[in-house]
Amino acid sequence: MLQRLLIILLLLGPLAAFAQVRTVTGTVLSAKDKEPLPGATIVIKGTTKGVLTGPDGTFRLEVTDPAATTLVISYVGMTPQEVPVSTAPITISLQSSGKDIDEVVVIAYGTAKKSSYTGSVSQIKGAELENRQVSSITKALQGLAPGVQSASQSGQPGSDATIRIRGVGSINASADPLYVVDGVPYGGNLSAINPYDIESISVLKDAASAALYGSRGANGVIIITTKKGKAKGSNIDVRVSQGFSKRAVKDYDRMSTDQYFPMFWRALFNENLMSSDSVTAARDASRDLVDNLGINPYGSAFPQPVGTDGKLVAGAKPLWNDDWNKAMQRTGHRTEANVAISGATDKTRYFISGGYLDDQGIYLGSGFKRYTVRSNIDIDARKWLKVGLNLNATHSDQQAPPSEDSRSDNYVNYGRLMGPMYPVYQRDPNTGAYLLDAKGGRIFDYGDYRPDPANPRTNLVQTSGIDKHDTIRDDVSARVYAEATLYKGLKFKTSYNADYSTRVGHDYTNPTLGFDAEVGGTVVKGNYRTFSWTFNNILTYETTFDEKHHLNVLLGQEAYKYQYTYLQGNKSGFSVPGIDEPSDAALIGGFEGYSDSYRQSSYLGRAEYDYSNKYFFSASLRRDGSSRFAPDRRWGTFWSVGASWKMTEEAFLKNSSWLNLLTLRASYGGQGNDNLGPTRYYNYLPLYSVNSNLGLGGTFRENLYNNLLKWETNLNLNLGVDWAMFDNRFGGSAEFFVRKSQDLLYSRPKPPSIGYASVDENIGALKNTGIDINLHGTPIRTKDFSWNIDLNMTHYRNKVTSLPQQEIISGTKKLMVGKSIYDFFIRQWSGVDPNTGAPLWKVTKPDGSIGDTSNYAASSLYYSGSSLPDLYGGLTNTFTYKNFSLSFLIVYSLGGKVLDNDYTFLMGLGSAAGRAWSTEVLNAWTPTNRNTDVPQVNSVAPSWTGTSTRFLYDATYARLKTLNLSYTLPKTLMERAHLNNITVYVQGENLFTLYNHKGMDPEQTVGGTTYYRYPAVKSVSAGLNLSF
Amino acid sequence: MKKNRLLFIAIFAAAILSACNKSFLDTKPTNAVPDDQVFNSVDNASTALTGIWAYMFETYFTFAVPGIKSLDLTSDAMGSDVALTTSYGFRDSYTFIEMTDNTKNRVSAYWTILYKTIDNCNNFLSKIDQVPGDDAKRKLLKGQASALRGWCYLTLAEFYSFGVTTSATGKSVPIYTDPANPATPGKPRSSVTQVYQQAISDLTAALPLLADYQRDATQKFKIDANVANGLLARAYLYSNQPAKAIDPAVAARQGYSLMSGDDYNKGFNDVNNPEWIWGQPQTPNQNVAASTFNFLDVSTPVAYYKSFKADPWFQGYFDSTDVRFRLFQWSTTGPGALLYKKFRFRDPGAQVADVVLMRSAEMYLIEAESYARTANNAKAAEALNALRSVRSSHPYNGGGQVLDSILLERRKELWGEGFSLVDIIRTGGTVVRKPFKNFNGGDSIINVRQPDGSVIPVRGVGHRTLTLPDKSAFVPNSPYYLFAIPLSEIQNNPNLNN
Repeated sequence: MLQRLLIILLLLGPLAAFAQVRTVTGTVLSAKDKEPLPGATIVIKGTTKGVLTGPDGTFRLEVTDPAATTLVISYVGMTPQEVPVSTAPITISLQSSGKDIDEVVVIAYGTAKKSSYTGSVSQIKGAELENRQVSSITKALQGLAPGVQSASQSGQPGSDATIRIRGVGSINASADPLYVVDGVPYGGNLSAINPYDIESISVLKDAASAALYGSRGANGVIIITTKKGKAKGSNIDVRVSQGFSKRAVKDYDRMSTDQYFPMFWRALFNENLMSSDSVTAARDASRDLVDNLGINPYGSAFPQPVGTDGKLVAGAKPLWNDDWNKAMQRTGHRTEANVAISGATDKTRYFISGGYLDDQGIYLGSGFKRYTVRSNIDIDARKWLKVGLNLNATHSDQQAPPSEDSRSDNYVNYGRLMGPMYPVYQRDPNTGAYLLDAKGGRIFDYGDYRPDPANPRTNLVQTSGIDKHDTIRDDVSARVYAEATLYKGLKFKTSYNADYSTRVGHDYTNPTLGFDAEVGGTVVKGNYRTFSWTFNNILTYETTFDEKHHLNVLLGQEAYKYQYTYLQGNKSGFSVPGIDEPSDAALIGGFEGYSDSYRQSSYLGRAEYDYSNKYFFSASLRRDGSSRFAPDRRWGTFWSVGASWKMTEEAFLKNSSWLNLLTLRASYGGQGNDNLGPTRYYNYLPLYSVNSNLGLGGTFRENLYNNLLKWETNLNLNLGVDWAMFDNRFGGSAEFFVRKSQDLLYSRPKPPSIGYASVDENIGALKNTGIDINLHGTPIRTKDFSWNIDLNMTHYRNKVTSLPQQEIISGTKKLMVGKSIYDFFIRQWSGVDPNTGAPLWKVTKPDGSIGDTSNYAASSLYYSGSSLPDLYGGLTNTFTYKNFSLSFLIVYSLGGKVLDNDYTFLMGLGSAAGRAWSTEVLNAWTPTNRNTDVPQVNSVAPSWTGTSTRFLYDATYARLKTLNLSYTLPKTLMERAHLNNITVYVQGENLFTLYNHKGMDPEQTVGGTTYYRYPAVKSVSAGLNLSF
Repeated sequence: MKKNRLLFIAIFAAAILSACNKSFLDTKPTNAVPDDQVFNSVDNASTALTGIWAYMFETYFTFAVPGIKSLDLTSDAMGSDVALTTSYGFRDSYTFIEMTDNTKNRVSAYWTILYKTIDNCNNFLSKIDQVPGDDAKRKLLKGQASALRGWCYLTLAEFYSFGVTTSATGKSVPIYTDPANPATPGKPRSSVTQVYQQAISDLTAALPLLADYQRDATQKFKIDANVANGLLARAYLYSNQPAKAIDPAVAARQGYSLMSGDDYNKGFNDVNNPEWIWGQPQTPNQNVAASTFNFLDVSTPVAYYKSFKADPWFQGYFDSTDVRFRLFQWSTTGPGALLYKKFRFRDPGAQVADVVLMRSAEMYLIEAESYARTANNAKAAEALNALRSVRSSHPYNGGGQVLDSILLERRKELWGEGFSLVDIIRTGGTVVRKPFKNFNGGDSIINVRQPDGSVIPVRGVGHRTLTLPDKSAFVPNSPYYLFAIPLSEIQNNPNLNN
């Protein structure tokens, strides 16, 4: 159909039906990869008559002019070629003329040429993702597109990264972008998509590109397009890789047993000094030390290992010095295999793939296994009718032990926080030799002698292998469409798209050992099901008149329904060990379940017009109704206008010897946001929550409602310029954006004494202003060697522009007009009092002067820097030499602060006996070490690790995100083996990191706070790609 | 072919029409109901009282703030007789750095629970008269809602300002009696006298409404006339109106005899105890309130924190014949702590224990104190000794001030039940914490006799925190004793201090 349309466009008039007709057929390929080139132009030389190639690169041209002898074949970014007219089928291979500047990008409800598109879109090609060792595509987006901020705060296999496009446009409402898979919003799990199945990812950043997704596109749109069959015949692709992973950066330095004991002695000594003289204090400290820590790793020969001078007594050597952190970790293994069969026949194109991934985590008991199958089929059912079905099914089994939150069974914290004097395996207290069981094996030490902070009666090193923290997911995703050509250029497409996702969570702790042995073990099992569908009907009309006017109009209607339902129960008290289902346990602890439903109904339209391929205009309009708002507030109207000017098409630039492309772009428009949060669908209703007390039904008013809630609006301005120079070898784009959000959906704080701490309202406005820059070049291009470089960077600032009250404080931030939502508002560290060793914070006194106080609660809060980086982005370098290719991506983030709460656990002053200590505490204040940043240790000292600038660190980092070295076997060799391609490669992820605050992985949340998370991993893999 | 194309247009039109269906965008929650489904009959409306009660008791703010019952533990942690360990939970309350810090979760939690309950009562009282249904039931529910609001205001009056005898006009907390809407402004702090008065008027209003109510014996969590009387007795006593406290105290304990010595030793975990007037029962699947036993219970292995150890000096106040004395036991493992095994899980495997809210022993002590404060020492001693004799303790026979004996008896009888800080604030008293040392300042070594006759010497550990956070000595009416008003209230209520 496309072919037919393009014939109409290009032939510019009826064909001369009576002339003698010669028919030329053939295929146009890219010389580099032998991939077919859809949309290549074949014109009879000296005329404007010609055709475009179809999706499989083939064309058929009827030459009516008997005088015609030569055809010109051209494709953007490629060097044109001339061939003689012949009636035998021909194959034309076009050579690249440099960077592909006129790539076709996927946009809302269609595609566009990047060089003339009015909106802002960045496209990432599947090839850039294929060899990455990540289990979720969100983690592969980092550093590849300007304006995209990716925070992969967890290294747990199978976890997603948080993506923010051009900053956070909302405070309370969701700031996640909309994910679109194969043209329709996606409701499944992102980790269910096999990165290998992806053809391209488009990131839509401004109004002109995203407004057609209306309400749901306010935070930007990420369009994922999966692969389709292209070339005639069939191609089989096989990929396997195998790798190993470790922690990307070293954990915090912690004290050894020999450092710990004298330091803890000092904490006791300083406590004793408060109520007795120094001789008694020292005597008691020496005597009580072992009692307080619960263990004497120096053996019975040294009953008081630390003398009254605070030093280890002569000859005392620890019999063990165990590293629990190490014991909780391992080298992870990663295996991935993919097979795909793709191809095309006359009327059918297909892509069928299967994938397997086994990504073992670096912490015990963690991992991710995924099985995927995909089938994408397009059929030309009639000359005027195309139908297609994309089906994806994924099963995954994630082992995700607690690795967030400060809970004591957090697998990441457990080993990190255990003092080194506690043995992992039982030891002889006098010799340090391992005690052995009847079979000669070591016996795990559960340490009921350990003090509370060292988790007595637990040993996660062992129970991590018995307990269970499984999440099993099944995702099925279907995209089915039919597209009919109703009249010349007029098409109608209807599609029904469903995403089904079910998750079974199964958490089990065993009845005999560890944390829950006292209650006989626990099990929590739940089933969480989401089902969403989108049904849309789109009418498009495309026409060209008077040769120069090209018009494209789209009208459509869409309905969306989302349903979520879950049920979950927990029990405790297992009859016998070794079985882990709820049926095996005695006591019901709880049983819950409910359903939520959310719907949207929309009407949309878009018109695009261009004149002479020089001036481009676009406008869109969409109306959305959301079930989240009251009937009279439910509808919102969203729109955009955009224009671009391809200056290189003007006469004065057209023949420039060095400038290949110069385009100016501008767009403006408004999008909406109704997403108050994943559980807040009905906030306009005066609801009573349901609960119960001892079998009696209960209801209560938990929140205030607001039936005046309406859409939050984002107004986006985008100004951009694209250029390409020197035979397209150098180029780039720069964009300036202003993203204003107004009528923010915000939980406005209320005095809690009215019974409710907040009410949802549309209040306030904020603004993100910034620039995105993307530069690319090919500094070296010879026959055998080439060097490509790609650099992108983003800078933006965030500012609150209106609030209904002077200030709103929430968490570590304070909102005020003129300030940013990323600005920390916390207590200010003022150092350690050199005279007393007490911690000091700044306080504003009643007279307005600023002084110091050692009372944390009394100190004042101040603005203290921002979590927002000054500049972030990525740098990709690719070198190819003959059949070798080396590429690496460095991601960087300069400036900004991060508040490290994880570290505070290691920075106590001695009140948590047995918890590991940072080596930084060795520098604690003493009468002879007065100028320090660590207060005096004292086992009853009040905590000093509350949130303050003391633990606010520079977040600047650069990371070698990926490094890939590959070798493709020579064609001659492969042809002999009847193979198309063999590539072998080695690939590394996160191999090297430059950062400031040792111990903390620098990749944390956009908000700049840590949460005891699973750290990033580095990995090395080797793989083989085979195609035949 | 044309026909087929027409078919497509037909599908398109049909789809648009179906999407236009107005009700498509109407959705409803499945775990909440609109208020008109609650207040459409008296029976349905009764769920609103059950619901807010469950919210109060069965909501975790953190594991250290398991509902309103944990307020009682905070009160005792900030008193003289509990020597808290450094375990998770109440250690910062104990050192007086938590409740003065208006940023702490615990500070905002109690404020939130109490005021949300108050607004739910206000909302209930404003609607219940218009709801169709049985008038007798309506009357009873109104009485319960009114008494519940009274209890909330009574609790607020106890902790946010000094007692009325210290400063009758001291600023306490705001009072609201109308349901809130999004436009409701924050109100200024009323005086402590006014807040007590609000509690008294709510409780007084409740009494006649509850007069005919016979509570089901299995539902001791419901407020009946005994409970309302008991709360009223507290309110009168705490607000220094002792003469008025006597009658309600006596009325409250009617039907609830003092428990036996054996029952006192059963772990304070069973709502069926004959002496319990009011309590919240717990079950394996409703045990948030019971998780306070993770702190109070120092002897059951399943208890997580076991942090409420007794001050060794506290043991000295008991006669050795006292049934309560039997509950003391020195720990022979770890630092030598004195266990007071008053609270023990009833069902450790399920972590279940009912929690006590009011006992007749307290009513005897209110009666005794009220007589003492109205200069009727004979009646005071009579009420005090009624309790002492049941506890096999020596009767009071005129040695020292009877009032002092009664206040001490409250500490002994009600340890761990939440009265320590209340008594210190309302009487203008002081926290007293002495180090546990022997007479010449050395360690106190306790020889603990074991069941097999052997003796284990234990170095006794008592209070860890002996001063206020600023290193000053404990004094009467220290501002450290008061609960801070949460930061969010200060920031969002411009009228607070008007």
